[in-house]
Amino acid sequence: MDFRFSDDQLTLTESVRDYLSGTHGPEVLRRLDEQGNRDPAIWQGLVEMGLTGLLVPEEHGGLGLGLVEAALIAAECGRACLAEPLVDTAFVAVPWLVHQGDTDGLQAIAQGTRTVPLPHVLNPWVADGEGQPLQSVDPLRNLAMFSASGPADEHLLNLGALMSAAQLLGLADAMLHQATEYAKIRTQFGQPVGAFQGLKHQLASCAVAIEFAKPVVWRAAQALQDGVTSAATHVSHAKLAAGDAAIQTAETAIQVHGAMGYTYEVDLHFWMKRSWALCGAWGDRAFHVRRIDEAVLGGSLPIGPEHTFA
Amino acid sequence: MKLGFSAADEEFRAECADWLNAEMAGEFKDIKGITKLTASPERRKEWEQRLGEAKWGCIGWPEQWGGRNATLAQQVIFAEEYARAGVPGRVNHIGIELAGPTILAFGSEEQKRRFLPDIAAGKTIFCQGFSEPGAGSDLASVRTKGRLENGEWVVNGQKIWTSLAHISDWIFVVTRTEEGSKGPKGLTFLMMEIDQPGIEIRGIKQINGDAEFNETFFTDARCPEDSMIGAVGYGWKIAMGLLAFERGVSTLGQQMAFRNELDELIAAARANGAANNPLIRQRIAKAEIGLRLMRYGALRMLSNTDHSKIDGAALTYKIQWASWRRSLGELAMDVLGQAGEVAEGSEYEWDTLPNLFLYSRADTIYGGTNQIQRNLIAERGLGMPREPRGDV
Repeated sequence: MDFRFSDDQLTLTESVRDYLSGTHGPEVLRRLDEQGNRDPAIWQGLVEMGLTGLLVPEEHGGLGLGLVEAALIAAECGRACLAEPLVDTAFVAVPWLVHQGDTDGLQAIAQGTRTVPLPHVLNPWVADGEGQPLQSVDPLRNLAMFSASGPADEHLLNLGALMSAAQLLGLADAMLHQATEYAKIRTQFGQPVGAFQGLKHQLASCAVAIEFAKPVVWRAAQALQDGVTSAATHVSHAKLAAGDAAIQTAETAIQVHGAMGYTYEVDLHFWMKRSWALCGAWGDRAFHVRRIDEAVLGGSLPIGPEHTFA
Repeated sequence: MKLGFSAADEEFRAECADWLNAEMAGEFKDIKGITKLTASPERRKEWEQRLGEAKWGCIGWPEQWGGRNATLAQQVIFAEEYARAGVPGRVNHIGIELAGPTILAFGSEEQKRRFLPDIAAGKTIFCQGFSEPGAGSDLASVRTKGRLENGEWVVNGQKIWTSLAHISDWIFVVTRTEEGSKGPKGLTFLMMEIDQPGIEIRGIKQINGDAEFNETFFTDARCPEDSMIGAVGYGWKIAMGLLAFERGVSTLGQQMAFRNELDELIAAARANGAANNPLIRQRIAKAEIGLRLMRYGALRMLSNTDHSKIDGAALTYKIQWASWRRSLGELAMDVLGQAGEVAEGSEYEWDTLPNLFLYSRADTIYGGTNQIQRNLIAERGLGMPREPRGDV
């Protein structure tokens, strides 16, 4: 087994990270929050990067890449707290449509002129869909209640859960970064608060949780891409590991920021609320724990030494 | 040890319940069940006055100053019935629980006459000017300056996190009155009227969209020389005495509010089936145990008649309740699942449980973070060496 990424994968990820860090900082989130959440210029930028067509097969005008690449980019979207419906449409709907053999609209998606918000029975509402608007805990998500309930399709659920997990990794990384930087500059008792073990150790624990969640998510992406029978278990594991890491980091980051962390003025809450929202999306914690429970105890997941890493 | 309530106590309970229920069914029906501290401020002030008129505003105070000289058991009972009746929290909490007791303990006779009757009557709402942008956990590093000029204190600087300053009449302020002094030395405790040109208040929006606390700016703000509590340079001693009151009887009422929150969570878990999940069941049981643990701990602490003595047990109280409630918020979100993340309608207005999740993040920060609490327990309670600090 080899968890290293190819140079192409790394280059692609870095270019997206650089692009988003240059064009989609916290000031953009604040502007969107005040001005109605969506900005066509941001969407256009993503289209021009080729991201809407990342998973669209080349014959339909896309880049024809796979779920591992998509998960890497989804993590970058999380890091930037991107609210545009890129992940939902390009990394969840597209592979599902391809899987269904429904290729008619793929070109329009690649060109950025079509978005496909997909509901699921576990997700009665979706971001940027049409229907009864709902107020989300995440101020930048335009949630709407679908009139009809979505399909109970397991592959769709796995795609949604995987991409949520990937975004959660990026969100967690970003929150850890914000908290660490704050702990370096905020001084109390004559020194940076980060010098106190009471804070330092908490941030270190977040780093442990995040770093161990990463390979779990990449593993799940590869498993889903390859269509292995245990893919659903890998996806549930990924959702739990990344969600737990993100929530732990969100909670720690608020505590490290002290009272400032409880204000709207500090950027942190945008990331914290997105983490909260994504933890519940595409199967909440209880759902994914149950899926692992059932796989392990119900016998559908082979156990024993030769299967532990499969 | 004597547990349980006497027949006289039970009679008192009936009296409290009757009065509170009648008020919540009558003239103050509109504020029943409000949990948000900033909601309906004008009606809440009227409610403070109603409590004052009926002598229910500060029952633990001496009768002379508008209280009832109530026993600890009676205060416990009142707090329980207050929460049970769905009466909203006190907007003059700071006046009743902190400013009043501080004036009683450290103020002059003149100051008692001037302030206590009006606080008891709900006519003077107080807020607290302690923290500053650079003085949070390190409270002793306050920089707001006070100087005496022609029989008046003149104050310049900034306070932050002043809860409800925007609806308060008075603020007590810890100021640095000795030029060049550092840390806890050279501080003086002043009481200032808020409605004056030298004081400006700006709200701070919270992560839950509410704005309970404020930044408070002092630009040549003034108060008479005799608005000082204690003496020049004694500000730290007064401030620390005041913080000891923060661990007082008010915590009992708070626990009843916690009881309500836990009950709401249990009801939600039953309603949506989360109660069938063994992981959730276990955490609910743990929450119940934690609440009872706090209850007994608080009653034990308060049974100690010398409230000003900070003993080891009292030091542990804040971290216990704050951590408990924060866990309750996390549990609430796991009970609600995805439904906890949406609200119907267009307002940024949350139901009790999602709001609890956001609000409880502040519990382990204000009034001394969990990290500061652990240092206090270790250093003051256990006598461990102080954590190394930089040059202040």
